[in-house]
Amino acid sequence: MKVGYFCTFTPKELIHSAGFLPFRVFATRKPISLASAYIQSYACSQARGALEVAMSDEFHGFVFTRSCDTLMRLTDILEFLGKRVYNIEFPTKIGNVDYYVQELRDFCKALESWGGEISFERVMESLELYRELEEKLTKLFEICADYETAIKVQQTEVRDAIKLVEKKIAEAKKENAPKILLTGSVCPYPEIYEIFRNAGFAIKDDLCTGRRFFEFRRPNFEPHDLNSALRFLAEKYFAKAPCPTKHYSNDYRFEYLLKLAEDCAAVVFLLVKFCEPHFFDFPQLKEKLEEMGKKVALIELEFPVASTEQIRTRVEALREVIE
Amino acid sequence: MRRLKIAEKMRNLMAGYYMLGHNAKVRAWVTSGAPVEILYAMDVYPVYPENHGALIGAAKLGSHYSDFAEKRGFSRDLCSYARCDIGCVFAGTSPVGGLPRPSFLFACNNICNTVVKWYEVLSRIFKVPLFVLDMPFIRKELKDSHLRYVEDQLLDFIKFVEKITGTQMDDSKLKEVGTKSVEAVKLYGDCLRMAKNKPSPMTCFDAFINMAPIVCLRGTDYAVSFYKDMKEELEDRVKNGISAIENEKFRLLWDNIPVWYRLRWFSEFFESKNACLVADTYTNAWTGFSEIRSSDLISSLAEVYTVSYLNIGIERMAEIINWLIEFYEVDGVVMHSNRSCKPYSFGQYEIQKKLSVPSVIIEADMVDERAFSEAQIATRLEAFLEML
Repeated sequence: MKVGYFCTFTPKELIHSAGFLPFRVFATRKPISLASAYIQSYACSQARGALEVAMSDEFHGFVFTRSCDTLMRLTDILEFLGKRVYNIEFPTKIGNVDYYVQELRDFCKALESWGGEISFERVMESLELYRELEEKLTKLFEICADYETAIKVQQTEVRDAIKLVEKKIAEAKKENAPKILLTGSVCPYPEIYEIFRNAGFAIKDDLCTGRRFFEFRRPNFEPHDLNSALRFLAEKYFAKAPCPTKHYSNDYRFEYLLKLAEDCAAVVFLLVKFCEPHFFDFPQLKEKLEEMGKKVALIELEFPVASTEQIRTRVEALREVIE
Repeated sequence: MRRLKIAEKMRNLMAGYYMLGHNAKVRAWVTSGAPVEILYAMDVYPVYPENHGALIGAAKLGSHYSDFAEKRGFSRDLCSYARCDIGCVFAGTSPVGGLPRPSFLFACNNICNTVVKWYEVLSRIFKVPLFVLDMPFIRKELKDSHLRYVEDQLLDFIKFVEKITGTQMDDSKLKEVGTKSVEAVKLYGDCLRMAKNKPSPMTCFDAFINMAPIVCLRGTDYAVSFYKDMKEELEDRVKNGISAIENEKFRLLWDNIPVWYRLRWFSEFFESKNACLVADTYTNAWTGFSEIRSSDLISSLAEVYTVSYLNIGIERMAEIINWLIEFYEVDGVVMHSNRSCKPYSFGQYEIQKKLSVPSVIIEADMVDERAFSEAQIATRLEAFLEML
């Protein structure tokens, strides 16, 4: 049974261990029509497109984590539409692990009420499977960033996902081209990334459809019971690739991104129109990146992407500037 | 429309408030739903960028100041309070000569997560510390774990302020401020509830114009005495049979933040149709702060501020609106779908279907007049009123 989720901060391991298939909901290529009756046009097209998908009957339920204001209300809207929903109050301010462990405990109860089973052994098994997937994705991306695969694994059973990534690693060829950093939220269309590749760039990213899905710093302890497994999970997600919907001490996200950009020739903000968290960070990040001597461009996306030609022209122009 | 005389006093009071800020030793820029009682108790002067945004909107200078931020790369799709406030920082001025520089920033996300991003931007500009008071979103029930999480942060915040000011929190002073806050909020609630009278002695436009003291001066004697006077004026009106508009035929409720640059246009439009907007969800949001108990101040501050109107699920919001509909005996609801405020606006389509009276949705923006289409809005409202 599919359980839909929207944000990379969702503890997929728990959903999986309870016996469900964690399935990331993205905007699709279908035009957004039904969703327009339930949410305003100034909601981002990822939210509107995901709502369109979520309105089908193929999901057992939906799990939200507190991230942006739009997703917060999308929970209410899906519940209004008669869907089974649960929202985990992932803190906005990264810091208090005890509080989040309690939220995860409450989430376990919700999964049980949805017909799932939670046990220490099963949680450990899922933790291990996702660790393997994340390590393999990291390896694949070190050779060549493969977004088609990164997107697909978010909608595939984790054991099959591991096999898929292994196959891709075996086929992958190291890219030798100037690096470009793509930063933003989601971009579920593989052809957009191909535009950058065809223009002669090797891609590095800070996206929810890329690195933000699989980059974690794992806690340094072995869980010995369910409680410590939940603590492990909480710490793992606190130490994940940062996101602008979270508040970090010492402006950690800026520091992280500037470091990520060091070996890149240019940075492209690939932002979904109306995405407040990213658009707030954009001007000051851009300024800092330019101070570092990086070329910076902003490409605004709306899903479904009507034409890739405009994006192609922008990317090719950027390539020329760098040369 | 017969405007309340108290508005004159409000203008003087707020002018004084803005003046005071320039002489204050320690200043915090603070969000509208943050527990300001702690700041007043610690002699920190609170500066309200949201109120500043409303003031810019009312002065019809929204796009003017927003432009300063847009030129620096801030998107026009961002919240217009934030855009204008940041714009004023870059412009180095505003209708009140710019806000005084903060010593620190205090953002509480019980109204939106936008404020966290907005204050992060400010913190980088001013290079001052930012304290984020992170409130879990209470979609269903308020859990003990949520309360503990907020209480812990309130205690952290007190330590944070103590470190900056170099003085300890005085518990008796916090109690005193808390008592004043409750007193002001109760009087303020009494004022709003006067609109229950038929015809109503006030409109929600009076409430909008006179809400600044409850936002900015909650916890001080100024707010208490202001709402005492406002209540007296309203009682006089009721006693003497003076209504806010000439001929009250329909009673309506407003949802969302006002369209600040069109207050006059809306009030004249509705009066010409004999419709009185007697109440609104925005100004009512501050009436909830009357539940603060002085016996256990920190935990009751945590409780009251966590379940603020924008930090709850739409089911509960619809219940509150239906309660307002019943209490004020309104015939219809005008919902402002506000491009700047996502947590307030998303869900309106669903809330609309849960209301006990007819409603209409108009799309605009609270401060940015470029998002206002007069002909379209007038046609929609006319059709709605005809249907009523």
